[in-house]
Amino acid sequence: MIVEGICVVIAIYCALRAVFERNTLKKLPFLNAMNFAVTGAIVLLMPHPITIGVAIAYFVGSTLESNAIASTIASWEEQ
Amino acid sequence: MIDILLAIPIAAVICLLLFGSIDFFWKLPKTGGVSGANAIEKAIENTGGDKNGGWMIGNIVTSPDASAGTLLAACGFYIWGIPGAIISIVLVFAGARICADKGYAGTSGAFAAAIVIWLLTTFAGFPPESFIVACIIAILFVQGISTKYASRIIGKIWRKLS
Repeated sequence: MIVEGICVVIAIYCALRAVFERNTLKKLPFLNAMNFAVTGAIVLLMPHPITIGVAIAYFVGSTLESNAIASTIASWEEQ
Repeated sequence: MIDILLAIPIAAVICLLLFGSIDFFWKLPKTGGVSGANAIEKAIENTGGDKNGGWMIGNIVTSPDASAGTLLAACGFYIWGIPGAIISIVLVFAGARICADKGYAGTSGAFAAAIVIWLLTTFAGFPPESFIVACIIAILFVQGISTKYASRIIGKIWRKLS
């Protein structure tokens, strides 16, 4: 349970850092670290072959969301 | 088999060196790959961070790079051994294309991590789950403690190496 515990503690820490960070763009690195921890927790808590696909879908999806948020703010700044 | 509490810090240093060197090889701190990465670089630079470090952090956030490849290869290897790692490499390649990333940092990172994890678990007795936690701790130091100081350290190392 030590490894799962470390993942969950890191995920909660990063989530809190993201909540208390004011700048939206600076929230994204904390969210990225949180996504790493959540992906690790998914795999460690549910070790099944299908979980590989689930974990990668979650991670790529969350990265795509961060990409979309950052690109949208970048296009606003350009305008 | 090495004790997990001893294996995690050693594996964290190995993961940090592995994905750091692959990201530097693919020149992630040189420039932003997508417009979002440039926006994150500007936000970090405005609060006292470094330009090159900001680009690297921006690129890590906006597309699956070598650190993501390392984590996902570790996850695949933990669940299903070598076939799981191969599935991870293929899905990381697809994921990078979905995120409009033209580079191969994620795919090569997953491939290199799969080989390193296989070697260390087979011959050195590291538990496979230690690499999952190790990669999360390594990325916590890059992204989750202070982007200002992390970007400065990355920028310094990048300028020395290039």
